[in-house]
Amino acid sequence: MDETVAEYIRRTVLKIPRDEIKMMLQKWDFLSEAQLQTVNFHQIKDNISQEVVQLCEENSADIKQAAVLDIIYNHIYQNKRMWSVYQMRKTGEELEYFDLTDFKKKFKRRLRSALKNVTITFREYEDNAIWIRVAWGTPYRQPNQYKPSYVVYHSQTPYVFISASVLKSNLPLLCQALIIASNYHEIREMELRSHSLNSLKDIVFKRYSQNFQTYCPKPLQGRTVEPESVDLRIIHENKSEKERIQRLNQEVFGNGPQPILQFAQYKLETMFKSSPEMDVLDKKEPFRCLVKFSSPHLLESLKSLAPAGMADAPLSPLLTCITQKARNYFRIREKKGLFPDSFVSP
Amino acid sequence: MAAMAVESAEDGAARTLPSLGRLSRGLPFGRAYGRLGNSPSGRLILPAPLSQESGDPQRTALLLRKAWTLYSVTPLYRFCRGRLRDYARLLGAFIAAERQKGLAVEVGVELDIKVALSSLPELQGSEQDQPAVLVQLSSRSRASPKNSEDKILWSGCFCCVYGDDLSENMPEDFTCLPLFLANGAESYMSVVGNWFQKTFDCIFRRLAISPFSLTWMVAMWTGCKVDKATSGVELVFSVPRLPQPLDISYAIHPEDAKALWDTIQKTPGEITQEEVDVFMDCLYSHFHRHFKIHLSATKLVKVSTAIASAHCDGIVKMLHSQYLSGVLMLLTELAISQIQ
Repeated sequence: MDETVAEYIRRTVLKIPRDEIKMMLQKWDFLSEAQLQTVNFHQIKDNISQEVVQLCEENSADIKQAAVLDIIYNHIYQNKRMWSVYQMRKTGEELEYFDLTDFKKKFKRRLRSALKNVTITFREYEDNAIWIRVAWGTPYRQPNQYKPSYVVYHSQTPYVFISASVLKSNLPLLCQALIIASNYHEIREMELRSHSLNSLKDIVFKRYSQNFQTYCPKPLQGRTVEPESVDLRIIHENKSEKERIQRLNQEVFGNGPQPILQFAQYKLETMFKSSPEMDVLDKKEPFRCLVKFSSPHLLESLKSLAPAGMADAPLSPLLTCITQKARNYFRIREKKGLFPDSFVSP
Repeated sequence: MAAMAVESAEDGAARTLPSLGRLSRGLPFGRAYGRLGNSPSGRLILPAPLSQESGDPQRTALLLRKAWTLYSVTPLYRFCRGRLRDYARLLGAFIAAERQKGLAVEVGVELDIKVALSSLPELQGSEQDQPAVLVQLSSRSRASPKNSEDKILWSGCFCCVYGDDLSENMPEDFTCLPLFLANGAESYMSVVGNWFQKTFDCIFRRLAISPFSLTWMVAMWTGCKVDKATSGVELVFSVPRLPQPLDISYAIHPEDAKALWDTIQKTPGEITQEEVDVFMDCLYSHFHRHFKIHLSATKLVKVSTAIASAHCDGIVKMLHSQYLSGVLMLLTELAISQIQ
C-alpha cells in the first residue's frame, strides 16, 4: 500500500471521535467484521489508527477506498464545512430522465481531460443526494487529498451545494463539469451560505414551514405568563402589545423551526438621511456601509429581537426576506423615483 | 470597569486647541481638562506630545499593530530609574524560581528566560510625565544554536501620557505610571505582575472600557486625518441575552464616516459630548431605517478605525504612529479614573 495512502487513512481515522470510529469503519465496509473485531477501540486514538492502517495494508487499500472513508466522515460531520449554493438552469423545458451512470461518466471525463490528476469519488444516499468528492492535482502533481472539494447534488432539483476547498481556482472547472454532466446550460452562485447543509436544503427546496397569507392565526393563548399585578390597565396594554409582536413574528417567520444560518451580510449603498433639524451630512452620494449579522442560529436570533424590545415589529423586510429570497448576502441601493425611502435589493 | 463619575459642570467655556497630531513646538496652550466626557462643556484634544521629535520612532513602533491588554497600576513606591538593570536581574530570578515551583508557563520546552527593562522617553506627554518603562521577556531555547536571535515571549509597558492629574500631588517616593500594556501569555503577566506588586507595593487591575468611552473613541478617531484611509470605521455590537446570541458588525466607509463627523464637529480641535451623541444617533438612526433594530439597546463591545481599535474587555490595538500618544493619553486617563 502506498505510504501516502496509509498516512491519509491514519489522519482520517484520527479526525473521528473515538466512540464513532467503529461505526464509521463499518459503514465504510472495506474491512471485514472479523478484522474489525481484532481492533481494540478503547485504546488511545493514535493506536487505533495505527491498527486500522495495518488492516488496510492487509487489504491493499488504495486512494479510491480511502476517499470513500473521507466522504463518510464529511457526510456525518457536514456542518463543519461551509456550504455555498449554486443554481443550474437549462433553456429547454423537458424533464430528462436522470441517468446516474451517464452523469458520473461525463463528470469524470470533463475533469480528467482538463487536469489529468484528480481523484473523483461518488457516493449516493437515500434522500437522492449524490455526494461527490474531488481532490485536485495538476498535470504535473498528484492530487492534494487534504484539500478536496465536496459537491452535493439532488438530481431532481437544479441545486448544487458546494463546499469548495481553499483552492478556489478549481471552482469554474467544477461548475463546468457539473452542468455538462447534468445536461444543464448555466450555473450561477446564489448569495446563500451556511454551515448547516440541511438548512440550505430547507431554504431552497422550500421545506421550512411556509407562511401563508390566508391563514389567520389566533392570538397565542397562554404562551406568555404575565405576573399578576394590582393595576389591571397596565397588564392589559402590555399583553396586547406582546401578543401583537408574537403574531407579527409568526406571520413573518412561520410556526416551525427556522433554517440554520450563521450570518447575513448587507452592503448598503443608500443615502444618509437625518431628521431635518439635525444640521448634518446631506451628501448626494451614498453612505457606504457594510453590516454583518452573526449568530449560531441567525434567524432564531432575529426572531427574538422584537419580543426582547430591541427591534420594532414587524422586523425589517431586509431581514425577514432571507429565507424566502434564499440569500444571505445582499446589496442594497436606493430606490430611485417616487419612493426615496424604500429600498431595492437586486 | 472604569466608572465614569459625572462631576458637576465646571465651566461652559470651550477652549480651542491645535488638533490632534499637529506637532507643537512650544508648550501646548491648554491642558487635558477633567475626565473623559465628564466636563459637559467639552472634551479638549491635546497636541502631539513635546518629546515626539526626540527619540527613535523605531522603538515606539513596537507598540503598533499588537493587541495590548490594559491594566491600571497604582503608583510605584521607591521605583528607581537608575536601577533598571538590577530590577531585570531580580525579576529574572523570581521568574526562574516560580518555574522551579512549577507555577509558571510553557511546559515541555527548555527555555532560558531573559528579562530586559528599559526606559522609553519617547512615550510621555507633559514634562511631568514619567518616561515609559518597557519590560520584555525573551527566550532562547537551549536546543538552538548560540547565535540565534532571542524570541520575545512577552512584553509589558508602563506608561503615563499627560497623567498630570495623578502625578500632581504625588509625594517624592512614588512614581506614577498608571497605564500598563501587556502582550503575550497570561501566565507571564501573572508572574511579572506579582513581582512588581510585591516589590513596589502597587496594585494592577484589569482596565475595562465602557461603551460610553468607546463612543468617544470612535468619534474622536473618525475625525482624525489620515493620508489614505485603509480601513473603515467599524462598530461591533453584541446582544448576548437572546435565546441565540447575536453579533452585529456595522462598518462604514472611512471617507463617509469622516464626512459625517466633519459636519457634526463644530470647532476643530474640540469635541463635545453633544457632538458625540449626535454622531452616534446618526449612525443608529441610519441603521434603524434599514433594519428596524435599536442599536442603542444593544451593547457596544468594540470600535475600530484606521487610528486604533478598542474592545470593551480592555484590549487595544494602535495602528497609526502619528496618533500613538493621543491614544495613550486617552488610555492613561481611563487608567487614572480607575485608580482614583
